[in-house]
Amino acid sequence: MFPGPTLQAAASAIIENALNRALELDPAGRQSLVKALTGPVQLDITAPVPLTYTLDQTGERVQVSSQPPMEPALRISGRPLAFAALAVGDDRVFADGRLAVDGDTGLAHQLQRALNQLDPDWEAAMARHIGDVPAHFLGKRLRHAVKWSREAVRSMNANIEEYLHEESRTLPGRRELEATFGDIDELSLRTERLEARLRLLEDREITDEPENP
Amino acid sequence: MSEQQTPANAYGSRNGQDDVTHFGFRNVPKSQKAGQVAEVFHSVAGKYDLMNDLMSMGIHRLWKRFTIELSGVRPGHQVLDIAGGTGDLTMKFSDLVGPSGKVVLADINASMLQVGRSRLMDRGYAGNIEYVQADAEHLPFPDNNFNAVSIAFGLRNVTDKDQALRDMARVLKPGGKLMVLEFSKPTNPLLNKAYDMYSFNALPLMGQLIAGDSESYKYLAESIRMHPDQETLKGMMENAGLVNCRYYNMTGGIVALHAGIKP
Repeated sequence: MFPGPTLQAAASAIIENALNRALELDPAGRQSLVKALTGPVQLDITAPVPLTYTLDQTGERVQVSSQPPMEPALRISGRPLAFAALAVGDDRVFADGRLAVDGDTGLAHQLQRALNQLDPDWEAAMARHIGDVPAHFLGKRLRHAVKWSREAVRSMNANIEEYLHEESRTLPGRRELEATFGDIDELSLRTERLEARLRLLEDREITDEPENP
Repeated sequence: MSEQQTPANAYGSRNGQDDVTHFGFRNVPKSQKAGQVAEVFHSVAGKYDLMNDLMSMGIHRLWKRFTIELSGVRPGHQVLDIAGGTGDLTMKFSDLVGPSGKVVLADINASMLQVGRSRLMDRGYAGNIEYVQADAEHLPFPDNNFNAVSIAFGLRNVTDKDQALRDMARVLKPGGKLMVLEFSKPTNPLLNKAYDMYSFNALPLMGQLIAGDSESYKYLAESIRMHPDQETLKGMMENAGLVNCRYYNMTGGIVALHAGIKP
């Protein structure tokens, strides 16, 4: 079995430590997450390597295990990217079917809400190591960089889309495509109706034939 | 040192010599083994944790973590940690069972128990932990008492392993789990050779430099070679009355975690 028990334990230890460190930066968020974990939650990662992790709480800490619990209150399964989306607060991850839920769905929504509300104060954590002023300076720069990169990605996507549709005409435009799909649907519907009518006429012809010509 | 140096029939009495057992590569009267093992642990107790970290390069924490993860221990459970030493497993079990559960840290060696007790108290662990100086072969607990029993790196020092496994099964509740974490036999011949070189050269040297005692660490390396391999220990657990016995090789089989359920 890959990975072996030692690597599995190492992975769960790393995830548990990272999670609890992050939760320490948001005491209110930690409280609501710990409160939401009313029973063990089994996370089944389906690809690229099938892995199982269990989330549970002990006292004020979230505990991560690489073994499935005896009686999970909730099972969530899906791909790693879908779990990452859940962790960063994507609220459509269950509705889109990217993550499958089995068990207490109320617990799933509580967990999703708690993760959504998490807002770790990274600047405060940094300030403990490098001081308030440098931490604020770095925090401001980082926030600006994140905002700028989000804007840049959005603008780049819009430009590429416009180039492909309007300038190079490599791909049809969205409205053009929608109209074509509409025409295809209409044609498909009409063909089916015509087929049904022909079948009806054939049947009528067979029943109208005299028994003794 | 190679495997050929180990006696062929290492795991029990041999050639009709029912009154001797092994202590490392030496044969000693059964009545003397516990005393000699006790001397080893009295000698290393103070530097036990530091030596564990150095010798295993910290990986012993992952082996123990996997044991905890596999235990399935939940709030309210009663857990027995035999040969608990400095309390690594007890600490984690104490978190898991919570205030409604109980963990018993048992060790035959008073020095180890003392180090474990001080360490746990220093870290604020109290209320759901009991400390008992007990022999794994004659556990002073009633039948069907614990949800889980663990013995980590302790079974190889026990004189009569079969008797100890039977007694551990006795104190488990039906459905309870016994976990034996112990050094075992590496599955890869190349790793086995490297491991032999490391154990018989580096370990005694580290013991001399850090704990001022090379003999105890020579005994450690020898006792690991004399311990039953994965399949033999699994058979011994089945003979003790446990079912669903299986083992998990860790770090190439250098260590194996055996788990069995009391029917």
